[in-house]
Amino acid sequence: MDNLFEPKILTFLCNWCSYAGADLAGVSRFQYPPNIRVIRTMCSGRVDPTQVIEGLRSGFDSVFVFGCHFGDCHYLEGNYHTARRMQLVRQLLELAGIGPDRLQLRWVSAAEGQLFADYVTELTELTRELGPLRASRWQLPLAAVQRACNSPRLRWLLGMDRQLTEKQNVYEQRLDADAFQDLLRQCAKLEYQQALLVEALQDGPKTVRQMAALTGLPVYCVSLRLNDLERTGQADLLEYEGTSPKFRLMAA
Amino acid sequence: MAMHRETDKIGAVLVVGAGVAGMQAALDLANSGYYVYLTDRSPTIGGIMAQLDKTFPTNDCSMCIISPKLVEVGRHLNIEVLPDTDVETLEGELGHFRATLNRRPRYIDPVKCTGCGDCRKVCPVMAVNEFNAGLDLREATYIRYPQAVPLAFAIDRQVCIGCGLCGQVCLAQAIKYHDVPVKREIEVGAVILTVGTEVFDPSGLENYHYAQQPNVVTSLEFERILSASGPYRGHLMRPYDREEPKKIAWLQCVGSRDVRTNSYCSAVCCMYAIKEAVIAKEHAHGDLDTAIFYMDMRTYGKDFEQYYNRAREEHGVRFIRSRVHSIDPDGECDLRISYVDDRGEKQSESFDLAVLSVGFQVSESVKHLARRLGIGLNQHNFAQTDPFMPVATSRPGVYVCGTFQCPKDIPQSVMEASAAAAACSAALSEARWTRTKSKAVPPERAVSAAEPRIGVFVCNCGINIGGIVDVPAVREYARTLPQVVHVEDNLYTCSQDTQVKISKIIQEHNLNRVVVAAWTPLTHEPMFQETLIDVGLNKYLFEMANIRNQDSWVHMKEPERATAKAKDLVRMAVARARLLKPLVEKPLDITQRALVIGGGMAGLIAALNLADQGFETIIIEKDKELGGNARHLGHTIEGRDVQKFLHRLIADVENHARIQILTQALVVGFSGYKGNFTTEVLVGPGMYERKIKHGATIVATGAQEYRPREFLYGEHDQVMTLLELGHKVSQRYEVAKWDRVVMIQCVGSRNAENPNCSRICCQGAVKYALQLKDINPDLDVVILYRDLRMYGFLEDYYLKARNQGVMFARYDLDNPPQVESVDGKLRVTFNDHILNCPVQMPVDAVVLSAATRAADTEELASLLKIPRSADGFFIEAHAKLRPVDFASEGIFLCGMAHSPKLISESIAQAMAAAARAGAFLADVSQTISGVTAHVDQSRCAACLVCVKTCPYGVPHINRDNVSEINVALCQGCGTCASECPAKVIQLAHYEDDQLSAKIRAAF
Repeated sequence: MDNLFEPKILTFLCNWCSYAGADLAGVSRFQYPPNIRVIRTMCSGRVDPTQVIEGLRSGFDSVFVFGCHFGDCHYLEGNYHTARRMQLVRQLLELAGIGPDRLQLRWVSAAEGQLFADYVTELTELTRELGPLRASRWQLPLAAVQRACNSPRLRWLLGMDRQLTEKQNVYEQRLDADAFQDLLRQCAKLEYQQALLVEALQDGPKTVRQMAALTGLPVYCVSLRLNDLERTGQADLLEYEGTSPKFRLMAA
Repeated sequence: MAMHRETDKIGAVLVVGAGVAGMQAALDLANSGYYVYLTDRSPTIGGIMAQLDKTFPTNDCSMCIISPKLVEVGRHLNIEVLPDTDVETLEGELGHFRATLNRRPRYIDPVKCTGCGDCRKVCPVMAVNEFNAGLDLREATYIRYPQAVPLAFAIDRQVCIGCGLCGQVCLAQAIKYHDVPVKREIEVGAVILTVGTEVFDPSGLENYHYAQQPNVVTSLEFERILSASGPYRGHLMRPYDREEPKKIAWLQCVGSRDVRTNSYCSAVCCMYAIKEAVIAKEHAHGDLDTAIFYMDMRTYGKDFEQYYNRAREEHGVRFIRSRVHSIDPDGECDLRISYVDDRGEKQSESFDLAVLSVGFQVSESVKHLARRLGIGLNQHNFAQTDPFMPVATSRPGVYVCGTFQCPKDIPQSVMEASAAAAACSAALSEARWTRTKSKAVPPERAVSAAEPRIGVFVCNCGINIGGIVDVPAVREYARTLPQVVHVEDNLYTCSQDTQVKISKIIQEHNLNRVVVAAWTPLTHEPMFQETLIDVGLNKYLFEMANIRNQDSWVHMKEPERATAKAKDLVRMAVARARLLKPLVEKPLDITQRALVIGGGMAGLIAALNLADQGFETIIIEKDKELGGNARHLGHTIEGRDVQKFLHRLIADVENHARIQILTQALVVGFSGYKGNFTTEVLVGPGMYERKIKHGATIVATGAQEYRPREFLYGEHDQVMTLLELGHKVSQRYEVAKWDRVVMIQCVGSRNAENPNCSRICCQGAVKYALQLKDINPDLDVVILYRDLRMYGFLEDYYLKARNQGVMFARYDLDNPPQVESVDGKLRVTFNDHILNCPVQMPVDAVVLSAATRAADTEELASLLKIPRSADGFFIEAHAKLRPVDFASEGIFLCGMAHSPKLISESIAQAMAAAARAGAFLADVSQTISGVTAHVDQSRCAACLVCVKTCPYGVPHINRDNVSEINVALCQGCGTCASECPAKVIQLAHYEDDQLSAKIRAAF
């Protein structure tokens, strides 16, 4: 059965290291499975979380991102940002129940053709073991992950990560990196849960319990996150069905 | 003015804590001529009251009634609001204190911040929103509530990560990341502590599962649930799944009357629970079942019992006398309440929401503050006070009021705040007006004859208006309107630099009308009017178009239509501005003399305080002797000697140079208006007539003990009232021979004839029970009660009485005890509610806790035109925030004429009335608003419509047989103008043509 499944894998390669590494693999005739479809970006730092999710939603079974080794980045530190960003996307995928392994990040230099071929082989095998994603089944969570990835709050925190933990904040203090990661995770969770509710409300008003049934979130969690949406003007009470209030999405 | 000498007292007061009590104290003092520093630990003023939904017993919206006070405090020239501030040290003594204040950094400059909220929108980190009692989240950049004063955001440094985004979006450049604590030393003559209390946190009471169950909430959380500005926008929902609850339970005495937590009674929870139940029923879409689990229903305040009765009878709120054992999860999210009912049987019932009626307690930080300031605390950690000096702390010159004095409700807090102000005012009277600021006002430019030259200022409000409404287009549109000679748009029209700019433009362009299109006039009109005054333009030549709160903020998704509406609003404003007239605010003449009607404890205290404040005061007493009901009291429940205190008080009053006493005096005539009253009195056995001119009036006519018709009173001489028992207790010899005495509560109270509770009889019974036990420990004392209303620290004495073996047995209204005389011996039969069988006992005496009924004041009320309730007590202007004022200005109320109360409460209220009267008399610079009604008398038909319509009874038909409206009394509502059949009344500033012009300009 497993042998029958040939995954389709979206792969981002940075221009200067990993793309060159892949070319070298070709020049060197290092063989690897034919499952990846490559998009070249100038830097792995260009890979936006939203594009990763778009790949999964479009039908890819997993996404690989390749970049330069730390210190090798053509743009000095683009890959540091990539690393943090992809870590967060993996967390979101985990929250969504899809699991983090559908997104893989590896460093390959222009001289590591063999390593590139090895990684692709290994990761393709891993995807094969995970089985087909069948994005249609994950429509709601994937839409929510993508929405969370586009949230200005999360993107701002992500963007400020290195400034705040490696340099200094406006109070001239450096934040503890682990504490900041906790905060990011916390924020990602809140944003994801809010996004789930927004998605759940797309096709019409619902009660809290209906939203809970649709999203799989605990009822009380729906109640709390719904409150965040109401407070920020994204949702409000539409009507009562008996004594059950129904909530709707506010036009953006 | 006399030179300021080193030894002079300092005419400034520090008020610590800016809740409703602190605000009231500050206003009373500032209006009386003292400079006030008003500090608060939080970034804003308003305290707990700002968090409440409705207030009992009137069900007024809390925010609606507190926000005008917030604005008044925030704008007062002589109140310096110091948020984020702690008092660190206090040195010196009454008259000369030096306090060190520490302002904690707020990281947003409240002067520059315009409150637009752009910083909040971008803030990426969240914190628990304490204003909504933890029900939802807020950002690290926050404002406690939208109506806050100062209307400025703050950064919660505890959660802020310092990302700097707010600093980048703030167009007002108000963000100050490098803010530091600022220490400051101030000099004040006195200090008032209004630091309040915190609400009890029930997390530690594991049997209630508060921390685990979302549907177990505190009463404060429930207030936020009900509030329209709360997390659920005022819709009744339970937190777990947002379903509307069908059954709600309230658990009383959580963190109160419980030796594990706080043994005292928190005094307000019974009433707020009833209020919450009634309001919840009003909010519910379905049938809502509400049940209140309680031990004693303590609805002891003015008209509270009727509120309780209505809740039970009209709204169907269930009241379950019980002891609750636990709240346990029941199914997915419901709750099972297990309790023991009043027959001692175990019961349980399921609910889908449980509200814990949490009490008040003193916070750790307040305990520290008290220690730093050298203030004595009582056994419950509240400020230690004396019943005869209820607002004085153990440190002279440091006063206390509000819940830090003892748990209490809002009117009681407001009353005490005025009392504390009175204490300061009397102590510092020589320094009045020495520290206050006044504003120099340039002479006014004559404009009436001139052609209107209108300036229009359109505000962007950062991006709050400009982001939606096309402000340049509105500005250019305004330019095309007739008689508009100058237009401008500003980033923030309300900012200080824009005021300077507007002043310059008014002068350069010789503007004589100003229109500002910006925020709401409710908060901003007075500020712009001040700008006009500063350049010699009459403040009534100003008009606002509300293009933010009522345009850009409510049409965010329709920018084009919002712009069109803004143009309409500006056109309408300009149309009215063209017709605006300068109005004169006439000075109000004030006779600086007070008249106190009633020479009981309240009247004496009020008179003495006013005299100490420096005002000549006249006391009118109908009896031969001063002292009123207090003459019949031995000791207070705390053991303080009432007679000793009263005699000293009378001596002080009699010897005071500024007090005149008229005994055996009867008020027979009353005329005039605030500041200018004339009272006619018949004095002495000779009934000679006197006319007294005075500026303020205090009504302190007291109340009287009901003469019972029940329980063989008057038929058997061993059946007596509490007052009569009091005499026997002070004589000792008779009561020492008794073996058993039964006291019966609520005689003539809480029944069909007199539905109200008399408030003081429960403590009276317990007090005498303790005194009897003291005389003879073997005496059996049985108190037959309906609810034992030992509120606040009185609960201590209830506990003490039980410990000393006083027996308490409850009876119901429909099954009262029987008192019989068998062969001249008294026998009492009552139903034991636990055994549910009659108990009979012979007794030596039966003591009736007879009601306190209103004095006969019908004639006085009609002379003074002041309202009384059905039971004859006077009705104050507002049950919550104006507890000692009458609606008619210049007349004040105190003591038992208002409602039954303890001596300590009467003293506080009397001082409060003195503060209010004193503040009124002190401010001789008062003017009469220009917005008043005027009658064109040549065309008046004397039809009486205005006389009948006016809610304040101001218009009257004069000797020329035409209507006359005294502008000093007119409140400016304009109802008479709208009803006048002949259309001969105009309300200045809202004249017919001014309104019509606005209407016509809309098209």
